[in-house]
Amino acid sequence: MSIKRLLILQIHHLFSEYLKDASKKMKSGLLFVTLANPCSGEGAIYLFDMCLQQLFEIKVFKEKYHSWFINQSVQSEGHLHFATPMDPLFLVLHYLIKADKEGKFQPLEQVVVDDIFPDCILLLKLPELEKLLRHVTEDKEINSKKFYKYSKEKTLRWLEKKVNQTTAALKSNKINVSARVQSAAYFSADQVSSDKEEDYIRYAHGLISDYIPKELSDDLAKHLKLPEPPALLPNPASKKIKLSDEPVEAKEDYTKFNTKDLKTEKKNSKMTAAQKALAKVDKSGMKSIASFFGVKNKKKI
Amino acid sequence: MDLSELEEDNTGRCRLSSPVPAVCLKEPCALGVDEAGRGPVLGPMVYAICYCPLSRLAELKALKVADSKTLSESERDRLFAKMEKDRDFVGWALDVLSPNLISTSMLGRVKYNLNSLSHDTAVGLVQHALDQGVNVTQVFVDTVGLPEKYQDRLQQRFPGIEVTVKAKADALYPVVSAASICAKVARDKAVKDWQFVEKLPDLDANYGSGYPNDPKTKAWLKKHVEPVFGFPQFVRFSWRTAQSILEKEAEGVIWEDSSAEDQEGLGRITSYFLSESPRRHTPHRYFQERGLESASTL
Amino acid sequence: MESSDEETTEKQRIHLRSATLCDAAPAIVHLLPCEVLVNGPAPVERFFTPAIRQRPSGLEVSFRGRILRGEEVAVPPGVAGYVMVMNEKAEVLAELERRHKRRGLEHEEEAQARSEPLERDFDRCIGATASFDHFHLWGLETIPGPDAKVRGALTWPNLAAAIHAQVPED
Repeated sequence: MSIKRLLILQIHHLFSEYLKDASKKMKSGLLFVTLANPCSGEGAIYLFDMCLQQLFEIKVFKEKYHSWFINQSVQSEGHLHFATPMDPLFLVLHYLIKADKEGKFQPLEQVVVDDIFPDCILLLKLPELEKLLRHVTEDKEINSKKFYKYSKEKTLRWLEKKVNQTTAALKSNKINVSARVQSAAYFSADQVSSDKEEDYIRYAHGLISDYIPKELSDDLAKHLKLPEPPALLPNPASKKIKLSDEPVEAKEDYTKFNTKDLKTEKKNSKMTAAQKALAKVDKSGMKSIASFFGVKNKKKI
Repeated sequence: MDLSELEEDNTGRCRLSSPVPAVCLKEPCALGVDEAGRGPVLGPMVYAICYCPLSRLAELKALKVADSKTLSESERDRLFAKMEKDRDFVGWALDVLSPNLISTSMLGRVKYNLNSLSHDTAVGLVQHALDQGVNVTQVFVDTVGLPEKYQDRLQQRFPGIEVTVKAKADALYPVVSAASICAKVARDKAVKDWQFVEKLPDLDANYGSGYPNDPKTKAWLKKHVEPVFGFPQFVRFSWRTAQSILEKEAEGVIWEDSSAEDQEGLGRITSYFLSESPRRHTPHRYFQERGLESASTL
Repeated sequence: MESSDEETTEKQRIHLRSATLCDAAPAIVHLLPCEVLVNGPAPVERFFTPAIRQRPSGLEVSFRGRILRGEEVAVPPGVAGYVMVMNEKAEVLAELERRHKRRGLEHEEEAQARSEPLERDFDRCIGATASFDHFHLWGLETIPGPDAKVRGALTWPNLAAAIHAQVPED
């Protein structure tokens, strides 16, 4: 029996075309390919619609101890895939930054090449791409052929706009961006408005950072003038951990780090705004690691 | 005995009672408590009370009520019919606890064991009689376990009533014998007319006594085990017999409160720390809190 | 992608048969609060569906002797849920041909797809076998409620739309 996957597809004016009239002589060009995730560089699945020239990102919802019943069948893993339209520029940017090491203007087909993920060339088939490239590159036209060079300045301005529109969406979608642990049931509109602008920007920056390399994310934080996140651990290698970027459902006992940190800071009697915010973090919802080792009652049916 | 309410929904519990005889509202009464179907792996457990004015206990005794276990099914039915005839001075009430209620109570996050469930049900029935205005002065209870603790508990709960908890009370006190007949008749009828919640076209009704050591019952369980769902709700999933058949013949099911050794043990925790290596990108908290990650396979 | 060969996996394309999206019949879908360690047929209609009760607090059912409490969750507007099954290409094409024949349609579209260079011999196919616009979400003994992780996940299409929308001009 084949494994069944549940997929949530953005149907917005796209699949409605297919759905409207299947008998239409429409070329079906929907394909899943593996490309480099622009943040991690690891392989990730994307969906191309070659017909309507749209790129989709695929996220998968996973939660332990869940299964599906689908009609008269059971599916062991309770996964749910999401296919949502994606800005192809994020994927191309990954290659532009790589190519920039050579420091010269290059044609795009020379930039977007990948031995491991050869399907990246499909990105070049997206017609809007050329228009989009001006957000992140300088270009030159020689003999009616375009040559591009990555521009960090332009890219940061483009990313700032991305952060802004994401910030607006976080507010309108009432996403809890504060570090406090809150139940959706008690998360009222009042609390949304009490969240600080800085929290929203930091959160939006964190979301955008999932689509860009780490170095660019750091540059973007500086560009946005986001205050340095406080170092939570004495080990400088872990400075990656940022206050607002930490999951509320922390799987480690951050309270330990926090209290330790605060004690040291008290001696200096100087706290940055973010550190003060940290002091206010409600840790009641954070799980101590002890709970993961806890002895539980045997129950297996 | 009309069990139609139970037949309509047998996934929970169902209380049934006779009209209260007028004399029981005035005269001091003795009340007996007994149960049927505690041990079987199949079907409901029934708790019953039976009460009668102290002045007329001799008449109840004259019906020759005895411990239901010593009577044949037809004798029990005959005696219950007699009690129904004597409804001017004998009253009863019963609680049918469905096997589903028993399973889900015993297997709950917070364990609700069969003893507590039984005691609470008995207390509930005595209270029910009091709420109906029955002038209860004496309570006699049959017990399977140690009577002392149970007696203390009941006596504390009903301080104005003389409580007697005794093993084999069903053979000693006619009100308990009568209660045991009520319980057994109800249990037999409930089992006989059991409306399976599941749609099982090829159901075999030959399940024997329902006791775990009955080979017929065991064979029936083995025959009716379903790899995903286990058994019909008629079976008490919390019984060891049922569980060991499931372990062997059904697919594994892991709940979040299943014990750690059933869940790949400590290996998971080690790999968790490994996954924290700095090379790996941690998704933003928005995604982590929502269980979302980039799909790396389809 | 179930291939163990890393190299092939990353070069393999999985073609989504758009035609299968059209006539995917609605499925009844339940998300359970436990992991059943098997994939395959299960007599849901015989054992599970008839045991669901509407209680004052919401839906209630039991599974393997445990109480589940649940509620219906709608797939957000603008998106659609599909049940996808990976097939061998030949299988899917045969099925599509059958369908088209049944409808008395020419299978020009698929003929075209076969000649399409996007598709290579080692590629695989995926098709929708069913659709859903809501599902039953079950919690162990308690109703999952607004804090259910999957409810949070369902906010993603909306937020993704904002992140990936084209930026305004200067």
